[in-house]
Amino acid sequence: MAKILVVDDEEHIRLLYSEELSEAGYEVITAADGYKLTERIDSEKPDLVILDIKMIDYNGLDLLQEIRNKFYNLPVILCTAYDTFKDDIKSIAADFYVIKSFDLTELKKKIVMALEANIPSP
Amino acid sequence: MFEHEVNPENIKKAAFVVAIPSYNEADSIAFPVQQADKGIQSFFGNMKSVIINCDNNSNDGTKEIFLGIRTHTPKIYISTEPGIKGKGNNLRNLFQKIVDLDANGVVVVDADLKSITPKWIKHLGEPLFQDFGYVAPLYVRHKYDGTITNSIAYPLTRSLYGRRVRQPIGGDFGFCGKLAQTYLQTATWSDTVANFGIDIWMTTIAMNEDIPICQAFMGRPKIHRAKDPGSDLGPMFRQVVGTIFNMMIKFYPFWSNVRWSKPTSIFGFGLGETEMPPPVKVHKEILFQKFHEGFSNCGRIWEKVLQKETVAKLQEIREMDRDRFDFPTHLWINVLIDFAIAYRDELCTEDELLDSLIPIYLSKTLSYVMKTERISIREAEEFIEEECVQFEGTKSLLIQRWNKKTSA
Repeated sequence: MAKILVVDDEEHIRLLYSEELSEAGYEVITAADGYKLTERIDSEKPDLVILDIKMIDYNGLDLLQEIRNKFYNLPVILCTAYDTFKDDIKSIAADFYVIKSFDLTELKKKIVMALEANIPSP
Repeated sequence: MFEHEVNPENIKKAAFVVAIPSYNEADSIAFPVQQADKGIQSFFGNMKSVIINCDNNSNDGTKEIFLGIRTHTPKIYISTEPGIKGKGNNLRNLFQKIVDLDANGVVVVDADLKSITPKWIKHLGEPLFQDFGYVAPLYVRHKYDGTITNSIAYPLTRSLYGRRVRQPIGGDFGFCGKLAQTYLQTATWSDTVANFGIDIWMTTIAMNEDIPICQAFMGRPKIHRAKDPGSDLGPMFRQVVGTIFNMMIKFYPFWSNVRWSKPTSIFGFGLGETEMPPPVKVHKEILFQKFHEGFSNCGRIWEKVLQKETVAKLQEIREMDRDRFDFPTHLWINVLIDFAIAYRDELCTEDELLDSLIPIYLSKTLSYVMKTERISIREAEEFIEEECVQFEGTKSLLIQRWNKKTSA
């Protein structure tokens, strides 16, 4: 069972994702902010991170940068309410992005693709 | 008088190297050398460094200009044998020198750069000392600059090898010393690699060796000689695309096991406001005309190489007015698959095959230009990203057709 870490400062989003993704067969853990996020990833070892871009005290794109530099191949899906984040070049370090919605069809599709992506060792 | 190497300060070891390949660049080499020197002094001042000009025995005084520039960093000049040309041959010389110097990090920048700053050296070099082994450039580019990259090199390398490197043939890059040894030992060297194919060859090998790759944001356009996609591309097209197809044959065991793509780290922010690229003029009527000429010049080859349905689709497109011209992405993917297989199966000579792809590529370029002419650079990027997803979605078809031909 793949383990997914949801990082979002909105409680109802964490709840929604936890319920829906658990029902879809994933183990879900959550974080309400980016505090010591890379340490948490190091200890919990999620298979995928869903990351909110705009949190009260944290910029998701900066967190993405930290994650990518430390966990080179860890899939990260950016979640946002607006698509203006694409103006920031840092966003291309994410595997995918989705616009926040109560319908998680697109998110689930991207999760499958991100978890399936593999690059074999030479 | 030919000199294979000039090493005035007798440098035997260096941790960091900035290399500048050249052929007859006497007029332009001074500026990148000065910027490289500033970059080394500002950001790598604590390392033993050297600037190397790897030259093709230029006869315009490149060597004398290079060695005469006042720099704080020591310099070494190396050259290929007389008569041996090509950026790839220059870099092969460099790889050996990197091994000899036992260098840890190498940055390569073109000799005709006009927009390079000392921070380019920082951004291409620093990741090499932070666990990355290959650094590709991420320039700010006009949506019509780099059409071989946009239509072929980026989508194909991304879908084949699974790593998203937006500008895999950027020309300026960084690599670790260990990779120089790998480049020297690999068995995939060819005549096309020796020239324009070198950039895609290096990027592809880094991907296949599972070397950690990052992209360095350069903050400004690469200004040297932007090309009109309708002109002046024969040798470059043949060598870049030929190298890609050739690597597909060699690296089939790797790419056939890759599913979807993964991003890379991005390095290099805080450059201030991003500078916008200069406009690139595209002659749509020339692109249109060259596509139409392709039917009479290359029709025989297309019929040999392409599937019947694909030829029929090209005939349909031929009937379109220029103002309503549209070349669908899925058709372009089918064309590239057919050409890659034809290259492998040697259905005609390499030059014939690759030259016959050019009119189709130009028509795809025309279609891209028309679809993106009223949208911003960022929106054009999204368009390319969507095309890449289509390339990745068609990967199983590529594998199926590749294997079918093998067993035929």
